[in-house]
Amino acid sequence: MQTRPLGMKHILAVTYRQYIVWRKMIWPAMVTNVGNPVLFLFAFGFGLGRFIDTMDGIDYMSFIVPGMIAYAAMFAASFETTIGSFTRYFLLKNWDAVLATPVSLRELLMGEILWASCKAMISALSVLIVGWLWGGVPSPGGALLALPIIFLSAVCFSCVGLAATAYASGYEFFSYFFTFWVTPMFVFCGVFFEISRFPEAVQVIAWLLPMTHIIAIIRPLCTGLPLDMTMASLHTAYLIGLSIAAFIFAHRKMRQKLFD
Amino acid sequence: MPSAPIVSAKGLIKRYGDLEVVKGIDFEVPPARCTGLLGPNGAGKSTTMRMIMGLSTLTDGTLDVFGAPIQALSRDNKARIGLVPQESNLDPDISVVENLELYGRYFALALPTIRERVPRLLDFMQLTEKSDAPVNTLSGGMKRRLIIARALINDPELIILDEPTTGLDPQARVLIWKQLLDLKRQGRALLLTTHYMDEAQQLCDNIVVIDEGTILDEGTPQELIARHVKSHVIEVRKPHLAKSPPERWDQEDIGETVLYFVHQTDELIADLPSNAIYMQRQANLEDVFLRITGRTLREN
Repeated sequence: MQTRPLGMKHILAVTYRQYIVWRKMIWPAMVTNVGNPVLFLFAFGFGLGRFIDTMDGIDYMSFIVPGMIAYAAMFAASFETTIGSFTRYFLLKNWDAVLATPVSLRELLMGEILWASCKAMISALSVLIVGWLWGGVPSPGGALLALPIIFLSAVCFSCVGLAATAYASGYEFFSYFFTFWVTPMFVFCGVFFEISRFPEAVQVIAWLLPMTHIIAIIRPLCTGLPLDMTMASLHTAYLIGLSIAAFIFAHRKMRQKLFD
Repeated sequence: MPSAPIVSAKGLIKRYGDLEVVKGIDFEVPPARCTGLLGPNGAGKSTTMRMIMGLSTLTDGTLDVFGAPIQALSRDNKARIGLVPQESNLDPDISVVENLELYGRYFALALPTIRERVPRLLDFMQLTEKSDAPVNTLSGGMKRRLIIARALINDPELIILDEPTTGLDPQARVLIWKQLLDLKRQGRALLLTTHYMDEAQQLCDNIVVIDEGTILDEGTPQELIARHVKSHVIEVRKPHLAKSPPERWDQEDIGETVLYFVHQTDELIADLPSNAIYMQRQANLEDVFLRITGRTLREN
């Protein structure tokens, strides 16, 4: 139970396990994590796009693609580290099996985060490719630069998801998590429209949520608009800070639950 | 035992708040032997095993595993332990082979080592034919065998078995016993909990009987039988019991029948009325267990 140096092989073993199981169920997984955001993209792009020519001076399709990329990453990472991780911990007792080996709890959680983040990247990349083929990515080079930020976002959402998993005592808890964490980020953080259209109080809440910060970086990158480097650093620092805080909480809480 | 013990506990105590579940126990697990930890539900067996695995902290006392205090259980030493948990925690959606290979990765074993060990373990636990079957298609007995095979992937020197044959049919149990004895002959230390006294008698070289967090007695199955009961048991159906006053015989009323514990059967049989209905058998660990832990039902 003492702190050991982290073992990369041990972390990757956990990630690899998720990959092997995912490969068996690749189609349902793809439908949720790729089909879902792509459908949203089409619906809003075609539907709303007919009424809105430009948003914030950007062609609406180009406006919505970065938003959908961020949403796809958020949804995949959040789902995997809540419903997915909780099932492995609670139902399959997979975590008990892993912790009976030299893998430490810290390594187990990191392996889970790494996997959820990879899965989130698959979703985000799919949306990016579809959006690009559809002419919604004016700056493909900028979009590539956005990838590391998208990965960091996925890590951040994964850490928060694991914190929720560590806190949850049953599946019911996740309805609160999705209603009060995931959905607000979908609707209030600038996925579909500029948050400046909201009353000020809502804008304050929006800036407390990581999604707003992510979109504030990746939308200028994907559309080729200027990006203020100082602000970008602050947004990034926020994402890193939240990831670390959520990870520490998840690890502490889970240690209390698993070890006595 | 000339060689140093694999596990050595002295004055081991575990408290949850005010509740003391392990109350200062001493025991050792020597190499190449099977040590049985027997006790009713709630006796403190699982907590003790969790402490040995480093999953539960000790409140007091010392617990050395591979000669080092458990608080400093190193990654290398943890990799010398194999755990067969009571509850199946196999991966249900992937195959038998994949389960074993993945488990090897948690030990950071080299891939060639894993590839070499997996077929050997499948053969050892007679699962070769099921290599590619998804785990959720296996029977209960096969799953148990796979869990045992999985616990061997790291070539462990200490194997902890938590009720390894609970719920299995006799054929499956016999196969598992045979393989466990084989593991012992290979020089591995086994630490076993079970509610089956025949299993403990078959497998264990040394038995620690534990109840309410304290050790009630310890010894080989034969020693325990000699100490607590006599070599033979005569079960006599009520109401035609021995004629002598009850003080004469070492007896126990278990409801429909009365058990008489004797070294020589003839004297007691001579003491029975002619119409007595009785059955004569060898005393076993079950008699010992019930005698020293009592017959009251335990609610966990």
